Amino acid sequence: MNFNLDFAIASLPIILSALGTTIWVTIVSCLGAALLGFTFEILRRSSRVMSYVMRFLIDFIRSTPVLVQLYFLYFVLPFYGVTLPSYVVGILGLSLYYSGYLAEVFKAGIDGIPSGQFEAAHALGLRRLDIVIFVIAPQMLRNIAAPMGNYFVSILKATPYLAIIAVPEMLGQAMEIASDTFRYAEPMLTVGVIFLVLAVSIAQLVRLMETRLLKSAKR
Amino acid sequence: MEISTLKTGSSVAEPREVAVDIQSLNKWYGTFHVLKDIDLRIHVGQQVVVCGPSGSGKSTLIRCVNQLERHQDGQIFIYGQEVGAVAKRLHELRRDVGMVFQHFNLFPHITVLQNCTLAMRRARSIPRREAEDIARHYLERVRIPEQVHKFPSQLSGGQQQRVAIARALCMKPKVMLFDEPTSALDPEMINEVLDVMIELARDGMTMMCVTHEMGFARKVADSIVFMDGGRIVESAPPSEFFTNPQNERTRAFLRQIL
Repeated sequence: MNFNLDFAIASLPIILSALGTTIWVTIVSCLGAALLGFTFEILRRSSRVMSYVMRFLIDFIRSTPVLVQLYFLYFVLPFYGVTLPSYVVGILGLSLYYSGYLAEVFKAGIDGIPSGQFEAAHALGLRRLDIVIFVIAPQMLRNIAAPMGNYFVSILKATPYLAIIAVPEMLGQAMEIASDTFRYAEPMLTVGVIFLVLAVSIAQLVRLMETRLLKSAKR
Repeated sequence: MEISTLKTGSSVAEPREVAVDIQSLNKWYGTFHVLKDIDLRIHVGQQVVVCGPSGSGKSTLIRCVNQLERHQDGQIFIYGQEVGAVAKRLHELRRDVGMVFQHFNLFPHITVLQNCTLAMRRARSIPRREAEDIARHYLERVRIPEQVHKFPSQLSGGQQQRVAIARALCMKPKVMLFDEPTSALDPEMINEVLDVMIELARDGMTMMCVTHEMGFARKVADSIVFMDGGRIVESAPPSEFFTNPQNERTRAFLRQIL
């Protein structure tokens, strides 16, 4: 099979029509995973019992394949009367799966904050939630911008999984072209290049954020 | 209010409210007995200096007062409120107890001004404008007026510690705790911090201060407490403490540092 540049260019608009879906599913999943992961980590630190519960939950999430989780949410939950649209399942699945990893990243980020910061915040009489939001979170983000960015790129690259539960993202569109025309090289390569561009953009964005955060305060 | 025979030995005759009252306090780290039967009373407007060799428990003691460390036995009262008993409202009690740390512990990700306003706004619900005015007032008092929009890392150690003092003062605390406030400073910066503390003392701030700065102790302390091995072995006003220490360990300590 010869690579046909014209065919690749012709398939571009169809694949790009799904670019928006890929991007917004990625963004919402990143936010969801970060919020969930941060909540898990804060809960894990709240009490001894919670530390065991969250430890188990995080390990469970991280130790099962993302596809299994997606299939479970998509095919098993309806038997129990919970039928969710494929978008929701996709975002929920990616958020949940990556929240386990991000919780670990956040843990390292919080461990890296000197204990004096917590003491000063407590000594001032701040409430726990205020300490988390105004003292812990911003310093944690500074510590972990790079590894967190890596997971955001991973989330982007995991969106093709959602093709199997009928979320119309880019790989799904490419597969449709391929199965209609029996030409795989062009649509797959096109999809690959677009993902490459997106991933590099996220990495650049994160690097920019990191330098800004570091510039604001060194310690 | 109580009419008391002042334990601390200060010869103040008029009755004064007790600000910090520590009663038979005991604390263990595992099996290690760090604090042994500590009794200490600080009246409103008094300044008490706590000194002693490292490992004597003085930092642990001061950290128990605002419960950064929990004690296992005994009681601590701040203006009559027992601190161990109010775990749920501990943060409210801490708002009235300012603390200054050895390593300043300023928040590095926000400006000097924001360091001062954060607790006022979040814990005392003071609107931003008003909080900033209060912060500027105290920053001026500690002589950091020009640098309010800088980040802590852009200041010298002495400046950072003075900001830390201002940050604590902004909460209008009823007691100030100082945990070795000058120990991490370069020698030439110690005095700028001590001067601020002396002014505070002159203004009648109730202070408990762990320090080895004996010049400061001599100048402002109503009472100097010497700790060794987790116990208070001597407690006396500076005049007696320096000229006529009763305990052999106190004498040995004073020989070392004076």
